[in-house]
Amino acid sequence: MSAFDRYLWNGGAALLAALWIAPLLYAVWTAFHPSAYEAHFTLTAPLTLENFVKAWNAAPFARYFLNTFILVTGITAAQFVLCSLAAYGFARFSFPGRDLLFSLVLLQLLVMPDILIVENYKIIHAMNAVDTLQAIALPYIASGFGVFLIRQAFMTVPRELDDAARIEGSGPLAILWRVYVPLAKPTYLAYGLVSVSYHWNNFLWPLIVTNSVETRPVTVGLSVFATTDSGTEWAVINAATLMTSAPLLLAFLLFQRQFVQSFMRAGIK
Amino acid sequence: MLANFLKGSAAAAALSLIAALPASAVDLQFYFPVAVGGGAAKTIEGLTETYMKDHPDVKIDPIYAGSYQDTITKVITAARGGNAPQIAVALSTDMFTLLDDDLILPFDDYAKGEEGKKWIEGFYPAFMENSQFDGKTYGIPFQRSTPVLYWNKDAFKEAGLDPETPPATWDEMVEMGKKLTKTDASGNTTQWGVRIPSSGFPYWLFQGLVIEAGGKLTNGEGTETYFDSPEVIEAAQYLVDLSTKDKVMEPGILDWGATPKDFFERRSAMVWTTTGNLTNMHDNAPFPFGVAMLPEKAQRGAPTGGGNFYLFKGSSDEQLEAAVKFIEWITAPEQSAIWTKATGYVAPRPATWDTETMKDYAKGFPQVLVARDQLQYAKAELSTHENQRVTQFLNDALAAAITGQKPVEEALKEAQAKADQVLAAYR
Repeated sequence: MSAFDRYLWNGGAALLAALWIAPLLYAVWTAFHPSAYEAHFTLTAPLTLENFVKAWNAAPFARYFLNTFILVTGITAAQFVLCSLAAYGFARFSFPGRDLLFSLVLLQLLVMPDILIVENYKIIHAMNAVDTLQAIALPYIASGFGVFLIRQAFMTVPRELDDAARIEGSGPLAILWRVYVPLAKPTYLAYGLVSVSYHWNNFLWPLIVTNSVETRPVTVGLSVFATTDSGTEWAVINAATLMTSAPLLLAFLLFQRQFVQSFMRAGIK
Repeated sequence: MLANFLKGSAAAAALSLIAALPASAVDLQFYFPVAVGGGAAKTIEGLTETYMKDHPDVKIDPIYAGSYQDTITKVITAARGGNAPQIAVALSTDMFTLLDDDLILPFDDYAKGEEGKKWIEGFYPAFMENSQFDGKTYGIPFQRSTPVLYWNKDAFKEAGLDPETPPATWDEMVEMGKKLTKTDASGNTTQWGVRIPSSGFPYWLFQGLVIEAGGKLTNGEGTETYFDSPEVIEAAQYLVDLSTKDKVMEPGILDWGATPKDFFERRSAMVWTTTGNLTNMHDNAPFPFGVAMLPEKAQRGAPTGGGNFYLFKGSSDEQLEAAVKFIEWITAPEQSAIWTKATGYVAPRPATWDTETMKDYAKGFPQVLVARDQLQYAKAELSTHENQRVTQFLNDALAAAITGQKPVEEALKEAQAKADQVLAAYR
């Protein structure tokens, strides 16, 4: 690669990075300055935390955060359990109709969850669970993507380890717990991160199935600020947006390496 | 989670047993959107609580459902899922959509007798235009608005114009706009004459121009549109010319949400926007401002906008009667005055303007009366069957004309052809 090529390459990367970070920087700028500076960028602009105070007081964000936290941990934990069991079955047991069943699970990947909203709502309503946290979680727990990803990880575990554990007298569940799960850790991490960020950001289904402050997650709470008729207060909106996305942003910065690597590893094998 | 869920469903089963027993109080669910700032949601919740205090036999659960778009999504999903609320506020233009989906009931069946009839007849006719269909009333006006022209009196003075006289005609608006448009030494415009925002739903303000030109967008029954009629083309040409020929308006798509800010920061001396902004303008404009009716061409004119109460199928008659009683109460003059004062929405009944609350308010802030007085010229907002799709055709055509991608006439002809295709099924 010539020096010129490298400059071009790095320049392109820098441009993409700048494009990606620009809205975030703008959000930070407006959130920390009085609203008069939304479109005036002077370095001497006074800093303020008032926008955060305003946003925090405009909606019960503490409760929304708690709801989101319970929701994402609950969903991810339930997905781990269900998907591991299903993946183990598909990866290591042979039974009639296994491949057909597995392709049915994969079919789920082709269906956008939004299409099923009315049907899901009917079921949730029949269970009398509208406006509960488990109602938000239920449609997502049996994740086809999770089953697929974890099954692929289990398939790469050498049979010899499985056999050795069996000789030592372990039952199937103990083998799953002691052999397969530890070896698939990077996959769990990758899947967990994807799942957490998806459900942290999910909006439509929680909006539809929740009615009260006690069950609404932050994304739905954030829509309080979408008051288009009277003009958009970017300073307050951006303060609220930063607040709601901060935990995820921090997590991404902390786990950035694992996030990228684990996906590569899970993919390469 | 799973254990939680099991517990949850056991509790749910127990609950449904309780729900099956005859209840002494009537339970109502009430979905509402909020499109203006200033604690509007709290005002609605406060009013609901007052009502429940006076009527202990009714329990109303007011559910704030976000924007209009969010609310209608939520309502339609819940209704199809067999759990429709009794009451919801949604855009008046959603009436045909809700009727096509067979989700709503006419109010006439529940507001019975002379009294009920009088109540329904007590709203401004302009607001009832897209609340009634086939002789029945499906919507009760609540958070209704209409666009008006706001002008900066300081800017008028600086430009040598009379600060108390807004433009009365299209031509005057262009003339004044030329005087108000200021450019600095390097040729950049620092203040534009006028701003008619065009992002998101340009059809709304555009409809004002169409009515002023003497035209109309639909036949009022939701089955015909007139997007390529001469008046509509004239209106679109005027809108495009404001930027390209007269150079009194910033070119390109102008953001709706940024309009008040643009006005406050003196980047536009006149702006067209909703009366729903009145309270915001009143509280935040750093200069004296005036509110005027939209200027006329062949006639005065403006569309109405905003939300109506709807009554949903799928509940007992007892619930629906209680729901209508509540709506009667909340649209009564005293309550309606509180609501108008908190938001800037136009009180939908003449009687509200005779209350002491409104009289006092108008004395200190006479600008609130402009929207009311404009109502006599107002027409129903564009609404057809499959409203979202048909409206989008017009929005796209306007965007293409404003950005110069297509000539005005061609863009509108295309929109009309597409609308014809969709609406043919309903004729």
